[in-house]
Amino acid sequence: MQKLDDLLLALLENPLNVVFVGVLLLVVVLCVAYFQQFLFILKNLSRNLVRSIMVSIAVMLLVVVITLVWTVTAALDQVTQEKSKDFKAIATERFQIPSQMPFSYERELSEGAVRRPGDVTPQDSMSWSFYGGTIDKEHLTRENIVFFFCMEPKKLLRMENDKPISMMDDIDQLSTTDLYLLEKACEEMEKDPRKVVIGVTRLEALKKRVGETIRISSLNYRGIDLDLEIIGSFPKGRYGQSAVMNRRYLNNALDAYNRDADKTGTPHHPLSDKSLNLMWLRVPDTKSFSQLAEQIEGSDAEGHQRPSPFAAPAVKLETASSGIAAFLDGYRDLLWAVSYLLVPSILATMALVLACAISIGVRERRTEMAVLKVLGFGPNHIMSLILGEALLIGVVSGLVSSALTYAIFNWGFGGVNFPIAFFPTFLVPGDALRWGVTVGAVTSFIGSVIPAWTARSVKVSEVFAKVA
Amino acid sequence: MKDEPGTVLLFILPPSSFILLKERHMISTTTSLIFLSCSIGFLVFMVLLAWIGRVPIKYNLRNIIVRWPINLLVAIAFTVVVGMLVFMLAFVNGMYRLTAGSGHPGNVIVLSDGALDEVFSNLGYRDVSKIELNNLVQTDDRGRKMASWELYMINNQPIPNAVKGGRHNRFLQLRGVDDPVTSGEVHGLTLYEDGKWFSAAGVEEVDKVNPAAIRDLTVAVAGDFADPMGTGPLVAGRRVFGSRTKQTLGQAVLGEGIARELGQDQKKATLKIGDTFDIGPKQWVVVGIMKSAGSTFDSEIWVKRDYAGPLFGKTGHSTCVLRTADAASAAQLATDLTTNYKESAIQATVETEYYEKLNTTNLQFLVTIAIVMFFMSIGGVVGVMIVMFAAISQRSKDIGILRIVGFRSWQVLVSFFLESLLLAVIGGVIGCAVGSLGNGYSATSMVGGGGGGGKSVVLKMSVDTSILMLGMLFALVMGCVGGLLPAIFAMRVRPLESLR
Repeated sequence: MQKLDDLLLALLENPLNVVFVGVLLLVVVLCVAYFQQFLFILKNLSRNLVRSIMVSIAVMLLVVVITLVWTVTAALDQVTQEKSKDFKAIATERFQIPSQMPFSYERELSEGAVRRPGDVTPQDSMSWSFYGGTIDKEHLTRENIVFFFCMEPKKLLRMENDKPISMMDDIDQLSTTDLYLLEKACEEMEKDPRKVVIGVTRLEALKKRVGETIRISSLNYRGIDLDLEIIGSFPKGRYGQSAVMNRRYLNNALDAYNRDADKTGTPHHPLSDKSLNLMWLRVPDTKSFSQLAEQIEGSDAEGHQRPSPFAAPAVKLETASSGIAAFLDGYRDLLWAVSYLLVPSILATMALVLACAISIGVRERRTEMAVLKVLGFGPNHIMSLILGEALLIGVVSGLVSSALTYAIFNWGFGGVNFPIAFFPTFLVPGDALRWGVTVGAVTSFIGSVIPAWTARSVKVSEVFAKVA
Repeated sequence: MKDEPGTVLLFILPPSSFILLKERHMISTTTSLIFLSCSIGFLVFMVLLAWIGRVPIKYNLRNIIVRWPINLLVAIAFTVVVGMLVFMLAFVNGMYRLTAGSGHPGNVIVLSDGALDEVFSNLGYRDVSKIELNNLVQTDDRGRKMASWELYMINNQPIPNAVKGGRHNRFLQLRGVDDPVTSGEVHGLTLYEDGKWFSAAGVEEVDKVNPAAIRDLTVAVAGDFADPMGTGPLVAGRRVFGSRTKQTLGQAVLGEGIARELGQDQKKATLKIGDTFDIGPKQWVVVGIMKSAGSTFDSEIWVKRDYAGPLFGKTGHSTCVLRTADAASAAQLATDLTTNYKESAIQATVETEYYEKLNTTNLQFLVTIAIVMFFMSIGGVVGVMIVMFAAISQRSKDIGILRIVGFRSWQVLVSFFLESLLLAVIGGVIGCAVGSLGNGYSATSMVGGGGGGGKSVVLKMSVDTSILMLGMLFALVMGCVGGLLPAIFAMRVRPLESLR
């Protein structure tokens, strides 16, 4: 029931969905009001049950594809859409990918490089360091590799007045049980930096369980191998492949490496001054963001210079959406083709299948339509019956298909597994129900409008002349 | 259909489509052989049946023409599905060709141990310079070892005059090299005629008008310039000139693809030699354009490592590519370096194998295409089924008459089955033709090994014979699946009952 409640709440979040539910209710009311006609449509569909089922299956399968495609593209659109309020800004090295800044930048960045009265301070901040390694150095495979986000555990999750507070997207969407377990894990990580949380999917690949200890041979921090204890896991879905450790553990290990290097007279670790990969800063609005960017980058919108405290390397501040858009740039043609070629092709196929089925149905029932006309049915009435048949099959198939897609992918598979940029999986949104119904309705209308017009134009004299 | 225009008609010879599937690791050898044998055997059998036996083919053809509106809808559905399949496979094929065209079988690529991608590799931990001294590494005409020492970097560059609401930054792939001539030889890259590799310093000095010291002479009449001090640049209708200073520009050699991409910023078709652009905090001048089409180098900017590295806080090398005599020598060198080189932990891979590993993204796309096409094909199958079932129910009297005049039930089955196949072939041929329109188009994509990193590439979509045959085979399979059940129904029609 909890999941159903979540689905309904997610659906009603969007005003478009509320309108959609309203329209759906109106349709139900119309069906009740015109119950006889509705029954007539149902009877017509059941007369050739094989054909109706085949069309329904085709529509359902095609709606599945459309739902999955739109799940990915809508999510990417959402994360790359500029927000105007309460959004995250990302501070990274200005020109280089991957960004590698000295950890000494962390404090000043978290305070927004405030130096003058009136300067903006971020509402919250979060530092990110990336530590990657393998549990089997001799036999390196994709399965035995794990990448850790090194951060402050309390920024991952803490509870304030029974409300989950997190800088990470969608953490607050976890179930109550998962939130409780993750909060406890964060507290433990704070106390003992050796303790880590790893996503369920990654744990399965590593063939490890919560409670086990692992030794990571680092791939990027060469010579910094860490012993870790797994004390919790992220559920399947967005963070299923993720892993988090306390940033203090990595920093302490780097310090220890450098202390040993000092003793032996060898160089410090090459990444000891490059261990801060990025910072997230929460800002209330675009004005604050612009001001903050000026404080950090050292110039304002008019190009007036003010010295930046971050010179070598230089730092840039951009909105999360802009930063993500740059990473997705490599996929822009692919996403264009999916949106403007693949989806229309699927819609066209659906409309054609429906058109075939409805056209044949109309041709087979020409005599019957002539009889209806004789009995007093008007041309528009006949047309609406044919359109009703197509819409009923399209809408019901679309609704069932999108609901099943939502349930099977979100609850069964933990989301749509299509790794693109740094998004491993995508959860099918509650909006999918609206998509399914809309796609079913629109394609069935397009597919049936010509056959319905043909049925409207049936001439009684011609039909009976042939019969005679 | 640039490769072989007539190949679309060879739908009864689908072996290459199986080779394609096999090459893309979509099916195992055994499965492909079984599938191949069954399909060929079945098609040959059907054609023979129609040829030897008395099958009313003309009757079916006439019916297709008479019932053209509904048959046209089915054919369009087939066209859409097959066209989309061909188009999407052309994209993936372009990616495969790109990665295949980037590696040389005689080259060995050396990265630091554990690095999953060049961008994560750092050969600067300990001394690796001796790897080029291996006897298997070839020597060029100048007596130098054919070793390309490189520093691969990705630069996050603001886009000049970015459109509001559009993207503001782009990632530029920089390859800092020590000796561009040797690196060009190792990678088999040459420059277009008017270009040159960058100098030993990797920079050049040019005159620059110092804006702070500009003294402008405004001329009353446009075009009538008083220019007592010589030639100054024309700015907004005024001749301005001032004290000149020397400006240092980094020299860059560009791949063809990135030259086109950067050219768009300056409203040009492509950047040309002498054009300038920004990378990081510096300005660069184009000194050469590489003949790089069809390789990942097409999206790269080559610069002097000693100059570019420090600009981005990078020293040392990420990559070393060594040229050996042949593929066997390359394999031997790769094994030798990985196991026996003790100065520093490195991993050496034959370059072609390295680029094959970058096909993980391609495989991901291919699997996605297979799933999407499976679902789309259901649409085509259902379309054929609906039409054929309707045809049979309407033509039950025809079937009865056919049986009475001597056609046997299996002949009726073949007749209706071939009718659905014919619809599939018509839709398939048109679909292949429509999908082939994508051939030669450029598109951006990412190739990667799935472990992070990856390269942004510009690829050319490629429709080849295998893809066209796969498209036709796909159409035939849809026709078979959709037509078989109705044909069996037609076969079971009882003549006398149908004529009552």
